[in-house]
Amino acid sequence: MIKVASALVLCAVVAASVAAPPARAASPPTVDKIVAKYVAARGGLKKIRSVQSLRQKGHVTAGPNQEGIVTRELKRPAHTRFEFKVQGVTAVFVSDGKHGWKVDPFSGDAELQPLSDQVVAEAAEQGDFEGPLVDWKAKGHTVELAGTEDLAGRPAYKLKVTLGSGGVRYDYIDATSMNLVRTDTTRQVRGRPVQIQTTFGDFKKTDGLLFPRFVEVAAAGRPNTLRIDVESVEVNPPLSDARFAMPALPPAAK
Amino acid sequence: MKKLCPILVVLFVPGVLLADEVYLKDAGSISGRVVEQNETTVKVDIGDGFIAVPASRVERIEKGRSPLDEYADRAAKLAPDDVEGWKTLARWASKQGYPGQARQACQKVLAVAPNDPDVRKALGFVSLDGKWVTLEESYRAKGYVKFDGEWMTPAEAQAGQAALTAERAQRDADYRANAAENTAVQEQARAEKAEERARYEKEKADQLNPPVYWGGWGYGAAVWPTLGTDGFWSDK
Repeated sequence: MIKVASALVLCAVVAASVAAPPARAASPPTVDKIVAKYVAARGGLKKIRSVQSLRQKGHVTAGPNQEGIVTRELKRPAHTRFEFKVQGVTAVFVSDGKHGWKVDPFSGDAELQPLSDQVVAEAAEQGDFEGPLVDWKAKGHTVELAGTEDLAGRPAYKLKVTLGSGGVRYDYIDATSMNLVRTDTTRQVRGRPVQIQTTFGDFKKTDGLLFPRFVEVAAAGRPNTLRIDVESVEVNPPLSDARFAMPALPPAAK
Repeated sequence: MKKLCPILVVLFVPGVLLADEVYLKDAGSISGRVVEQNETTVKVDIGDGFIAVPASRVERIEKGRSPLDEYADRAAKLAPDDVEGWKTLARWASKQGYPGQARQACQKVLAVAPNDPDVRKALGFVSLDGKWVTLEESYRAKGYVKFDGEWMTPAEAQAGQAALTAERAQRDADYRANAAENTAVQEQARAEKAEERARYEKEKADQLNPPVYWGGWGYGAAVWPTLGTDGFWSDK
């Protein structure tokens, strides 16, 4: 009797599962929705747009006996100044997004030198400190959802961002926190393309805006990583234009 | 340098001696102790080697207390066998961006506690099969190979080599095509070749160290500066 009852129950379950419409898989959110949630998680569009300048300081480690202090200053529209200090020696790299210059005592002469076009392009990307996803249409970028991926056990939306300049990067937005947790880019290094993966973590708010305090950079197939622990973030610090102004280059460097 | 001597004599007491902050024209600085200064060069002891810059690039030199001074003060108060004290000092130096001093403090620990795991790791050693090996030895053991100054998987190295070979072939083909056109083009090609050669030499020099991948947080410093004993600007 029990066997018959079990068989009936089983048949009923099978019949119900066949007759019932298939459970609808949750359709992925649109790019606009993902970006809107990401912007909100950072502190909101109004807050992001209110940032005119930014200063971040941190400790960088690239391996044993390779440590230093980094300072990044950004100012609208696309000014960047990057200071890299190791063993008390400070090298400075500056760009307005179109041109750039450096004084690098590590290179042996400490002369004022122009930055290469490739480095200026890299600086220009960082000059957009809102990030390419904010106002992406107005900035001339295109963004597509390229699926979801598991990052350290958490689902993340993978966004393919084709920059107005033609470059392609992938931004990963954590599906729960909606924070940007990883960016994949390709850089030309010593004449060949290298896939670079930048991971962000330890998010904390400063003046109502969320910033990652941990940044780790890995290159494809390389065991070494570079780690930046961001120790301070200043929103809208007074930064004079003079800090970014290009000094007159010596004739030989032009 | 002569002008500095009386000051140095007066201040030559641990904890009082102040470092020199050498400010460069336009931007940049060097913190350490000026050990040589003449019409052409300013040479600075940065606590882990020396760095020399053309005097024409120096804007001013100021006396000030630097992390090197603090390191010296704190180190002077530590007993040689104070393992925790040296480890704390190593961490402090590391946080200040002074890897040379961090290394020195770690070596003090190793002298009395050769298997201290924290210090071994800080110095770049890796535990492999119960033995401490260097980072490079651990990479080799894991199957990585060194190509163009950096450790990578054999597949990456192969791809890198293929890219280099293709680039050289393209360059040669461009050169031959240009050279056939006319003498002016040949001249230009020669100039470009010379420029290319100079770039190549510079790249080779850069390859003393692996490239630095900033990944969107910083730019410009293409390789990590060489400190200590082997750097071209360090003659310690």
